[in-house]
Amino acid sequence: MREDTYDVVVVGGGPAGLTAALRLARAGVSVCLVEESPDLGGQYYKQRQGAVLATYGPYRPAGAALIGAVHTAGVSCQTSTFVWGTEGDALLTSQVIDGSVRRLHGRFLVLATGAYELSIPYPDWTLPGACTPGLALHLAAVDRVPVGRNVLVAGTGPFLLPAACALLDAGARVAAVLDLNTPYRPSGRTLAALKHPTRLLELGEYLVRLRRHGVPLLQGWRVLGASGARRVEAASIAPADARSSAGARELAVDALCVGYGFRPSTELARLLGCACELDPASGDLIPTTDIWGRTSIPNIFMAGEAMGVAGIHAARVRGLLAAEAIRGALQARQSASADPRRLHRKARRLAAFARLTSILFPVPDWLYQAIPDDTIVCRCESVTAQEVRRAADASRHDIHAVKAVTRAGMGICQGRQCGNTLAALAARTWEERELARAHLLPRVPLKPIRVPAQPAGISEVRE
Amino acid sequence: MNGARAMPTRNVEAIVIGCGIVGAATAYELVKAGMRTVVLERGAPNRESSGATAGNIHIQAIHPLRPGQAIPADSSRFLPLQHAASRLWDTLERELDAGIELRRAGGFMVAETPEQVAHLREKWALEARAGIDSTFLPGSEARAAAPYLSEAVLAATYCAEDGYANPLKIVPAYLGAAQRLGLGLECFTQVTAIQRQGSTYRVQASDRAWSAPVVVNAAGAWLDQVASLAGINLHMTPCSLQMHATVRVRPTLRHLIQHIGEGLSVKQVTAGNILIGGGWPARPLDLTARTQASIPSLLGNVSLARRILPFLKDVRILRAWGGPFAPTPDELPVIGEVAGHPGFLVVGGSYAFTLAPLWGKVLCALARRQAPGVDLTGLGPDRLLQSADAHRARTGSSTA
Repeated sequence: MREDTYDVVVVGGGPAGLTAALRLARAGVSVCLVEESPDLGGQYYKQRQGAVLATYGPYRPAGAALIGAVHTAGVSCQTSTFVWGTEGDALLTSQVIDGSVRRLHGRFLVLATGAYELSIPYPDWTLPGACTPGLALHLAAVDRVPVGRNVLVAGTGPFLLPAACALLDAGARVAAVLDLNTPYRPSGRTLAALKHPTRLLELGEYLVRLRRHGVPLLQGWRVLGASGARRVEAASIAPADARSSAGARELAVDALCVGYGFRPSTELARLLGCACELDPASGDLIPTTDIWGRTSIPNIFMAGEAMGVAGIHAARVRGLLAAEAIRGALQARQSASADPRRLHRKARRLAAFARLTSILFPVPDWLYQAIPDDTIVCRCESVTAQEVRRAADASRHDIHAVKAVTRAGMGICQGRQCGNTLAALAARTWEERELARAHLLPRVPLKPIRVPAQPAGISEVRE
Repeated sequence: MNGARAMPTRNVEAIVIGCGIVGAATAYELVKAGMRTVVLERGAPNRESSGATAGNIHIQAIHPLRPGQAIPADSSRFLPLQHAASRLWDTLERELDAGIELRRAGGFMVAETPEQVAHLREKWALEARAGIDSTFLPGSEARAAAPYLSEAVLAATYCAEDGYANPLKIVPAYLGAAQRLGLGLECFTQVTAIQRQGSTYRVQASDRAWSAPVVVNAAGAWLDQVASLAGINLHMTPCSLQMHATVRVRPTLRHLIQHIGEGLSVKQVTAGNILIGGGWPARPLDLTARTQASIPSLLGNVSLARRILPFLKDVRILRAWGGPFAPTPDELPVIGEVAGHPGFLVVGGSYAFTLAPLWGKVLCALARRQAPGVDLTGLGPDRLLQSADAHRARTGSSTA
């Protein structure tokens, strides 16, 4: 098996990983950047290709510039490659196209593994035309393809606003934006946002554009379900505070984007044994880090959304902080622009805004409990909420037994999509839910890998 | 033990400890024979070895050496047992009135070197002597029957009785049938004490207790721990085994594929996943939590599978998991009554999944003081007895 050693291995080629890799490479450090997609950029700096690029020009040119600089600085970029396991201090990678397996050693690791969209199942969410706001935004902004002609955007979180605006830009009509919460009404909580004028201005611009296009913004509303013969033809919506179908209305739409924000992707950090803590606002397990992003394992750093979702500005600042700490530890040359104190101030401010966001856009547990019995909750294995609830009742809420009996969570998403819902449905109490989530431990392979050819001498391996 | 006397004790005719496949099969046979029976299970049913196993029904002679195994198993000793179990699997779905995804599509055991071909011929002769119907095929004929086998295969034996049952369905099927006949099932009930009281055993699980003249210890990897509660020190060698599942693919692989010289078992299950195992070790066994998968075993096992079944190069590995496994030091099954402990039966050891329907019937017969129907010579627990000191020294545990 091929083995390679670098000063630093950065996992994830989004804004945080790119920023860290660039800063370190410019300091003269050998850096390997591992990215699962064929192209660098991650979700935020995803780049247009081919005819779309020629017709519409670059999307987020700052990303293209950053990617170009990373290549120029001599970072070894392993694209179409993902980390699927660990062995001692080595990362095991799999190449997507040829399936080859490699061991990568880094004296330091930067885990910039990003975040997933949080989906909560609703009736007929598996119909064509139902998707997440993230997918809708990418298709609209990067590929200039709207997911429908008349789209409902719903769920909760500030991300719903840029998703709706991107749909408008791509020529779709946005029937409405529904937020489960009421974050855009003045209240004691929203007043705290005044401390973050730049962030407010960004949100304000989105709100103005939605208003100019006559898009209604319904706060305190949620999607009850989708309906349609072969694809989404309508969405049923209702006021959220009823927690039922009281006051429900039908909206004729041909596409439906529902998302409840993002969950940090921490599987690799957890597999490596980094200590984690429960984020009380989001309920997510997040690696414990210091202000530099250093985890409980001193040569492993976190950067970006995997530390807790905080947005693009935080991702870049966190990338710089991890790079600075590692540069210092390697005694590599300092760059002129480095001012750790300023970075620390920025990081704290951005983290405060992220905390405020999770307070303004909470995802309450009753949303899971309100999932109707006949709704599919594990789409890989077609398992309904009722099957999970019955298996949980029959097994004293043991998540392993629930999985074994129903196959829920055993499909190709490996529980990434459905794990939160399974834990919420299988557990009756908060403690049981925590136990269930703790049991849904990351396992190798972290993502499905192609079967490698036999490495020389591997059958001699004995444990 | 204060207050134990005041605790109400339920009287039954048999107590089964452990609710994996062997415990469930035994409980079913006992209630079917009219014995009032309770199963005590420390967790949820089928959660440990039986839920983690590959679900192979091995009827042709077994591969005697797992990767890392010190002593080869005497595969000829298993053959009459496999032969007896094979017939029982045939009628199980009808008997239990439940689907278990039983498939008897046959299996190949392949050889890649002339030395392995010689072993294969010896194995084939043993099978013929035991009355097991198998065929020896040169590589080309094996590939004609199973086109997915690679050119590396020099020869193979084929046995039509090899097969598969879904391990996640068989235990619920046994339990469902047993509960319809009045089985008492007590889950999340960890046995904490076993006392002999005259001709009965009093089995305690925290604040509850049962009493019966028959106790069946079917606790799998916890077999020795449970036995030691009754003052019986059994030498078992629990370890962990690793399994792998691919993503679901179209029906591709009909047969069970094994290797005579290396640890390999491959088959496709009803849901479409291809399961790859063969006795490779997972990370060291953790009896208190989930055992983690080993990377060298993963790479070694799945790449070996690809060498024999080249179509696997285009299939992705979805999951790897470790499960507990409790062989005896001599790699043979253990089944029977413990000397000096009348009515205390133990069951365990290798190939318990294949043999479970047989073990259920045998234990029921032993519990009722009837002839077991198969020759159990050399399989009794007395060969595994050791002194309390040796037991403590080996397991590092102290039993109060």
